[in-house]
Amino acid sequence: MAHSETGAARAGGKPRDAVVYVYGVVPADVEENPEATGVGEPPSPVKLVRSGEIAALVGEIPSGVALGTPEDLTAHARVLDSAAAEVPVLPLRFGAVVTDLDAVANEFLEPNAESFAGILRDLEGRAQFVLRGRYDGDAMIRELMDEDPRIGQLRGEIHGKPEEVTRDARIALGELIGRAVQAKREADTRVLASALDELGFPVVAGEATNEWDAANVACLVELSRQDELREAAERFAEQQDGRIDLRLLGPMAAYDFVLPAEGSG
Amino acid sequence: MTMQAGGGAGGAMDRPSASGLADVIDTILDKGLVIDAFVRVSLVGIELLTVDARIVVASVDTYLRFAEAANRLNLEESRSQGLPDLVEGMEESGAKSKTKGALQAAEDKLGELVGGGDEEEDVEEEEEPRSRRRSRR
Repeated sequence: MAHSETGAARAGGKPRDAVVYVYGVVPADVEENPEATGVGEPPSPVKLVRSGEIAALVGEIPSGVALGTPEDLTAHARVLDSAAAEVPVLPLRFGAVVTDLDAVANEFLEPNAESFAGILRDLEGRAQFVLRGRYDGDAMIRELMDEDPRIGQLRGEIHGKPEEVTRDARIALGELIGRAVQAKREADTRVLASALDELGFPVVAGEATNEWDAANVACLVELSRQDELREAAERFAEQQDGRIDLRLLGPMAAYDFVLPAEGSG
Repeated sequence: MTMQAGGGAGGAMDRPSASGLADVIDTILDKGLVIDAFVRVSLVGIELLTVDARIVVASVDTYLRFAEAANRLNLEESRSQGLPDLVEGMEESGAKSKTKGALQAAEDKLGELVGGGDEEEDVEEEEEPRSRRRSRR
């Protein structure tokens, strides 16, 4: 490989053929699992770099490789989430790379030791769960047609006709539906979020990533209270009477509760 | 500082927390602590992914899809089709099959973006790594 242009950083004297991928930060008493693998092809072993009472979950990967395959993304989440099921985990954003293992300890962990340890203490015994609701498209359109006669009218105009000759009506219809779904989404997200809030779980409502998304809510839950979360989710789903398909994901690392840059709240 | 392993005796590790790539993308992209100041090597391919994997919910394309969904809707069909299981959860692996359609579509989309697109099916089946905490000391 050619020399890196950041030649000044070679002080360590190590060959620059490997870099260190950092998944996140955990308490130092976490045990390394020799079989765990993470990003890269072939998947790199997951290691721990300890510094005081904290440690980084890392993997050594060849320098100059492009990450970003589905396998890499999944591996990043898998490493963090399997740890989060047992210990507090401070997740790093996908794609963080440091020059070498020494830099992880000296430049990343040590200078931030206090704030990282504080975050881990806050997360102790807790993990993130995500509730993701999806509307049944047909049921939602029927619901909207009942509520807004214009939707039924426009549907009548385009029904059975080719897209080319009904494009304007289709866009008008789709926009009506889109706005209405957005309003439904906001309302349903509020209901779900307040149900979780009532249980005392911190809640972050995420953006919709699919046009039929009904809710995308992350919450921070004590691992010992998972049953309460599940029951709340089931109650919500029952109230919806089949119009929302709700999934509960987790435990996972607290991706939505880690603020970039700012060390504390 | 007191640290105790939450979530019981190890068994909790053995299930995936997200049921597919689409969930992983929604969950982790743009999330988590940023350590730009420490990053010595930038990796290509990531920016593209973060931007394009997001679905723009308000766009003409979306409107046309909504309209087509309305067009296809069979109004004579029975109006009430309750879903058997309302909540799909963390323990049940059945969650995967139920959402297959939606997830598959998103996976295909991502596959195109990152130039892979042939191995998505396997992604969610991989074994769990165990960074298990040392047993209580």
